[in-house]
Order: sequence, then structure tokens, then C-alpha cells
Amino acid sequence: MLNSETDGDDWLEQALRGEGHEHRSVYIADDGFTAAVVARLPRPVTVPAWRRAAVVLLWLCAGVAALLIVPGAFDQAFRATLGMIVGQHWGLADVAGLLMLFAAMTWGAVVYAMRTD
Amino acid sequence: MSSPPVSDEALIARVVVSDDRHAFGELVRRHQSAVRATLRKLVAGNTALADDLAQETFLLAYRKLKQFRQEARFSTWLYRIAYNVFLADARRIKEVSMPEDMDPDEFSQGDVRTGTSTSRQAALSIDLERAMSVLSDAERAAIVQCYHNDLSHEEAAIVLGCLVGTLKTHILRAKQKLKARLSAWAPG
Repeated sequence: MLNSETDGDDWLEQALRGEGHEHRSVYIADDGFTAAVVARLPRPVTVPAWRRAAVVLLWLCAGVAALLIVPGAFDQAFRATLGMIVGQHWGLADVAGLLMLFAAMTWGAVVYAMRTD
Repeated sequence: MSSPPVSDEALIARVVVSDDRHAFGELVRRHQSAVRATLRKLVAGNTALADDLAQETFLLAYRKLKQFRQEARFSTWLYRIAYNVFLADARRIKEVSMPEDMDPDEFSQGDVRTGTSTSRQAALSIDLERAMSVLSDAERAAIVQCYHNDLSHEEAAIVLGCLVGTLKTHILRAKQKLKARLSAWAPG
């Protein structure tokens, strides 16, 4: 891998290579080293059990607050969406397609939630 | 029949994804010998200091594991952290002291050159070890990475955080110093 940098120092090159080979062949016994390192690892971050409920509650509060503050905007958006859907001409194939899409999304969500990594 | 050993990459993924401490322990177990041996060379044989620095190296590796991009080997990445930890410590204490029984000016060369091949090799090895202490940190690190850890020039340059040309200069200067120190070993 390494070439001799200058002429006439082959003996030094050989000595360094020999030293390197000896270095790599020596195994330093663990003798509790790994245990000492693992013991010094930072403590894992544990999320308290009430955190999830608190997050849900906060989102709920935020939603209710938004509804109270700008009720007209939500009502308008809801009516516009409903009008867009109702205004369409829905055939049987469309309804079936929509149901299949909904089923696939539900199934996908369930499989994702039940994954075990 | 035993199952094949889990690769470093798989262990790293377990640590990063699910903070698997057993997996990290296995990584430490696999690489502790090489990292400790490298640091022992860098601190000129101070075993206790080398082991302290090795612990710091692995703790730092644990904290930075998410940043490991697997562009280089995991061992190369560890050597780089170890070298940075060593440099930080060397800057802190200004100089790395040598073990008390080591005197760089005391060389055994003359008396054993005529001995058996094994004793000659052993004596050269001891003298080489002592001569290494006269090298600068960068020169010693270059020799350790290229000869002791058997890294290519490119890998060693990554570990030491320098250009390949700079690394070659360090090696050349180191060899010139070693040659001067060990001149009595030169044939002819």
C-alpha cells in the first residue's frame, strides 16, 4: 500500500511495516471496557405517559379556539366542499371507486399502526 | 450452528433508530481493541490515558452516530473521532508525557545488532517505539494510521482531517526523523 518515499530507507520501511503488523495482531482484552462505556452513556429520554393525552387535549383546545374565533371561515369551507361533492354527477362506478379508495386507506393506516419494526 | 454475525451497519441502524444500547455495546466490543491500541500509540504508551481517551471516543461516537454517513468504514470514522479526542486532550495538557522509563535518547541499537534475528527484531521494535516519541503529534498520527492501522493515504487523510499531500509530507518528515534517530540500524 505504501511506497518507500526515498531510496535507501527500505530497512525503515520494513521495520515500520513489521511494527504495524505486530500492532494489528495484538488484541487488547475487553476487561470491562465495554461495560464502562455503556454505563457512561447518557440516560435514555423517557416520554411521560401523560404526554400523549396532553398533546391530544392541546390540539382539541386549539381546534375549538379556532372554531370560536373564525366560525364563518370553517362554515364557508365546509359548505363549499359539500356543494362541490353534491354538485357532481356520481355514478355507481364512482361510488365503488371511492369506497375502495377509502378501504385501502383504512387498511394501510391499520397495517402501519400495527407494524412491529 | 451459529448465526452469522450482524454487520456494523445493521448495529448502527439499531442504535440510531431505536437507541439499542446492546447494539452499541457490541460495536464497542468489536472496535475497542483497535481504538485503544491506536490511542496507546498516539500517547506514546500511556495506557491509562489512552483508555480514558478511548472511552471518550466511544461516548462521542454514540452522540454523533446519526451523523455517520457510511461514506467511510465505521472503523475509519472511529479513528477520526479518536484522533480529535487525542488532539483536544493534547492541547489541554500542552504536552503528552512519556512513561517514566522511556528516554528517547537511550537506544539499544549498538549492542544487539550482532544478536539473533529475533532479538535484533525485538530491539529494533523497542528503539522504533522510543524514536516515535520524538515525532510531532501530526507525524506520529500519520505513521500510526498508515502503518499501524494499515489505512490508505486517502483514508488516513480523512482520519487526520488533512489533504493527502500534507499527509505524505508528514510521513516523509517522520521517516527522516526516524532515520536520523535510528541511523545505527541502517545497513552498510
